[in-house]
Amino acid sequence: MALLDTRKEDIEHHLSKYPDKRSAIMPLLYIAQEEYGYITEEAMQEIAELLDVDITHVKGVVGFYGMYYDKPKGKYLLYICTDLPCALRGAEEFSQHVCEKLGIQPGETTPDGIFTVENVMCIGACHRAPVMQVNFHFHENMDEEKADQLIEDLRREVKATEPYRSE
Amino acid sequence: MADTVKITIDDIEYEVPAGMNLVDAAKLCGVDIPVFCYHPKLGYAGNCRMCLVELGTPRRNRETGEMELAWFPRLQTACTQTVVDGMSIRTRSEKVRDGRRIILELLLSSHPLDCPICDKGGECPLQNLTMEHGPETSRMYWEDKMHLGKHIPLGELIYLDQERCIHCARCIRFQRLVADDPVLGFDQRGRRQRIITSSTPPFDSIFSGNTTDICPVGALTTADFRFNARPWEMVQVATICSHTPEGSNMYFDTRPDREAGGRTTIKRVMPRQNEQVNEIWLSDKSRFVHHYMEHPDRLTRPLIRKGGKLVEATWEEALEEIARQLQAAEAEVAGIAGGRLSNEDFFAFQKLIRGQGSNNLAAYPARVAGAEFVAQVGVGVGTNFLDVGEGDAILVVASDLHEEAPIWWLRVKAAAERGATLIVLNGRETRLDKFATHRIRYAYGEEVATLNAMLGSLDDEHIQPEREVEGLEETLRHARGFEASPELAAAAKAFAGAENAILIVGGEGVGAETSHNLAQAASNLLIATGHVGRPNNGLIIVWGAANSQGAFDMGIHHRYGPGYQPVEQPGLDYAGIIAALKSNDLKALYIAGADPVFDDWLMEEALRATNAYIIVQDMFLTQTADLADVVLPTQSIAEKEGTYTSGERRVQRFYQAIEPIGESKADREIFLTLAQKLGHGEARTVAGLIFNQDIAGAVPQYAGITYQALARVEKQFPDVGGEDLYYGGTSYPNRHGLGVQWPVAAEDESAGLVVRPAEAGSRLTATDSALVVVPVTVLYDAEPVMQKTQLLRQRVPAPYAALNPADAARLGIEAGDMLEITSDGHAIRVMAVLDETAPRGAAIVPRRLQAQGAPLAAVVAPVVRLERIGA
Ligand code: SF4
Ligand code: FES
Repeated sequence: MALLDTRKEDIEHHLSKYPDKRSAIMPLLYIAQEEYGYITEEAMQEIAELLDVDITHVKGVVGFYGMYYDKPKGKYLLYICTDLPCALRGAEEFSQHVCEKLGIQPGETTPDGIFTVENVMCIGACHRAPVMQVNFHFHENMDEEKADQLIEDLRREVKATEPYRSE
Repeated sequence: MADTVKITIDDIEYEVPAGMNLVDAAKLCGVDIPVFCYHPKLGYAGNCRMCLVELGTPRRNRETGEMELAWFPRLQTACTQTVVDGMSIRTRSEKVRDGRRIILELLLSSHPLDCPICDKGGECPLQNLTMEHGPETSRMYWEDKMHLGKHIPLGELIYLDQERCIHCARCIRFQRLVADDPVLGFDQRGRRQRIITSSTPPFDSIFSGNTTDICPVGALTTADFRFNARPWEMVQVATICSHTPEGSNMYFDTRPDREAGGRTTIKRVMPRQNEQVNEIWLSDKSRFVHHYMEHPDRLTRPLIRKGGKLVEATWEEALEEIARQLQAAEAEVAGIAGGRLSNEDFFAFQKLIRGQGSNNLAAYPARVAGAEFVAQVGVGVGTNFLDVGEGDAILVVASDLHEEAPIWWLRVKAAAERGATLIVLNGRETRLDKFATHRIRYAYGEEVATLNAMLGSLDDEHIQPEREVEGLEETLRHARGFEASPELAAAAKAFAGAENAILIVGGEGVGAETSHNLAQAASNLLIATGHVGRPNNGLIIVWGAANSQGAFDMGIHHRYGPGYQPVEQPGLDYAGIIAALKSNDLKALYIAGADPVFDDWLMEEALRATNAYIIVQDMFLTQTADLADVVLPTQSIAEKEGTYTSGERRVQRFYQAIEPIGESKADREIFLTLAQKLGHGEARTVAGLIFNQDIAGAVPQYAGITYQALARVEKQFPDVGGEDLYYGGTSYPNRHGLGVQWPVAAEDESAGLVVRPAEAGSRLTATDSALVVVPVTVLYDAEPVMQKTQLLRQRVPAPYAALNPADAARLGIEAGDMLEITSDGHAIRVMAVLDETAPRGAAIVPRRLQAQGAPLAAVVAPVVRLERIGA
């Protein structure tokens, strides 16, 4: 199913915002990511055609930004900041703990497809380090206990956190 | 350029053109500012930081109100600066040297330093600049180097070494800005940043090879040359592209090769800078097709038909036999010469055939005609597409330039981007449309009518012939009988009112007769609007072969001899020759460097039916040669020397690069030996002598040109590829001649100009079951020499016809269906491709994707779907 079939309104809304339609590339990529969980080759092709750019350009944008995925990822994305302030507050050990709990390495996805863990650069919440971003929600002043609890909760619910809308 | 500004470089004052890029201006003054990402043909990107200088600009002191020089506290990138009056830079200070050293240290921090096995090694700007400006050792940890992919094919032609890439983006910018194939891009970022292509097929561009030239490191290499030779081992031999009519200047880089048993072979083809012809670019066909020249299938000995079979013979035997046959045939001979022969070859050929008393001469391909109009109103001497821009106009009619003459396409497109008014007249969309100011679609068959209508729509104000023109009244009256749409009239006005105007005529969909009329109509329009006799004004015909212009100049024509001088007794043209073969009114036919049977079933039929003695001279045993009584092995452009004349009438020299293959001989040598045997004159076979004496004597247009003058060079701008450390190895200066354009009649102010009503054909219309089948030219076709080049063969599509989806639906045709198109009793089988850009009612069929695979000119023919495979 093409993006234009399922998300026509959103796509047109974004296209209408820019004088040059190629500027809409990032919101359109988010839409694709929401729809398919990651940005598929077909979606890139469709976006290239919608924006009248070469697919190479679309791939380049996907590759440039860490928040776009061109491979399937978990339902929940656990971004753990390991930059300096978080590291000083034990983020590396914290990340290790989360990974051990899930039985995966940073960058990997649990076999059930529920969680993906990524160590990331500063996400702008240093005053409440260590922080973990779960999809688009911040969880601050994290510790191992809170993380365990959160993972349990998410697993139990296995329901989408509020989906991202760029508005 | 009248406007200049004064700048100071390292305390010396210079005067440079206003508005110039600082790096270019310094170069003009003989000062090197090293660069990686900047390129005069691509503009600046400012991403490598190699060009750092200390920069001072004049600024008004707020307190005193005086102008004073203000130095930037930090080093600035010179490539992002435009010169301004009073600007001052330092390029040799300690600070600048420090800056360069640090930039190089950083660029090398993840570079693999595999120069000993790198193709660019020896002509690599990164290597050169590191030697000159880099640190001796690095403070980086060797173990921390980023390791990335080393042999990544970006397509069949180009390989990427991700580790060597310094992210200058020249390749990306070339593809986007120059080639308009934006199929390269960066993926990832930081040290992981890499070049990718995602087009289908990968790296889909006919200009891809140029990226390997301008890549300042060994990151992009060609499949053809990688790990093949070192730059310093090779000898550069100047040559000309022998496939399309732009006359691209290039080098054969040659080296004796162990694998070839010590023979000198062509290792690679590189562009040779000629700013008036191909600048520093080549199409991939020009660059990669050369493999046929050394292909094992080359004919090495003469073949004579004995007992129905072609068997090897000696030259003596073959030439004796031919001489005997020609002697007996007397004037009942005809000659067909293909457009890859040199001027000297053509001259010798017509000397041989005319020596027999015959004017039965045809240049091949015969479908594009009208050279006599070029001789009258061809573009003026000094024409250079680079000088065409705002206020000027270019009109392209019946041509898909991108496929027929890729370098002209690049240059016409660039002129349009500089502001020239581009008018494109065609029956379908082509890749020039995007850049056109006026896009006019005509119905096939109305090509000439469209040009006539343009002329007819002009009011007196725009008819400015500038001098006496014979036939003007009558021609205008005739032209006014054609109706012009408002769009067409507007285009005509823009063309007429332009300061300079060039008219480019192609042969898309038309045959020889229409092509001739189209050139007449074009010539009328140019003369009536006063766009003749000056640089950047006049006619260019997109010939079907590299040296077709030369063929006509040398008199390979049934109505005129060398220099367009009418002959007393016109002979047979190409179609006439076919008819005469069938009726056995010819006793001998000599076909040199042409394979008409590959295109033309009528020729095959005639050759099979005739009693005439057939002589074929070629590099391969072509389908035409297969029907010959005698086959003579001839040489490629790499094995001989001589001259070619480009479609812009630039006469250019090429030189011998490799030893002749087998016993093959140069075409001219064979013709002249025969001419001498037959008593048609002495055999002077040295190319330079033929040019300076025979041709100069017989062709008035060439009289003022000497072989030596063709080899003259001068400094060209932009000055890339010289001895400097930063462009060297990314393009090559021209050390062997820029060529000379010959003047057309209109350039002589006293010469009279003639116009005549151009006869227009009528519109071809599709019927319920038949479509207008339009033959078009594609760059990557399956002509015999392309089949010998493995690399390019992969891009040659299977024979197809492009149909508009609406027609396909109407005829019950789906994409992928096998179609049969029958015209003149000949059936062509092609695959259906559905294409929105194909005009309604038409089937676009590329020529030469298979033998006899397209009609000779546009024709209304039934298009039938064969059984669906697997259905
Ligand atoms: S591949 Fe070459 S031209 Fe392209 S960005 Fe890398 S270094 Fe520059
Ligand atoms: S930044 Fe100036 S040449 Fe690269």
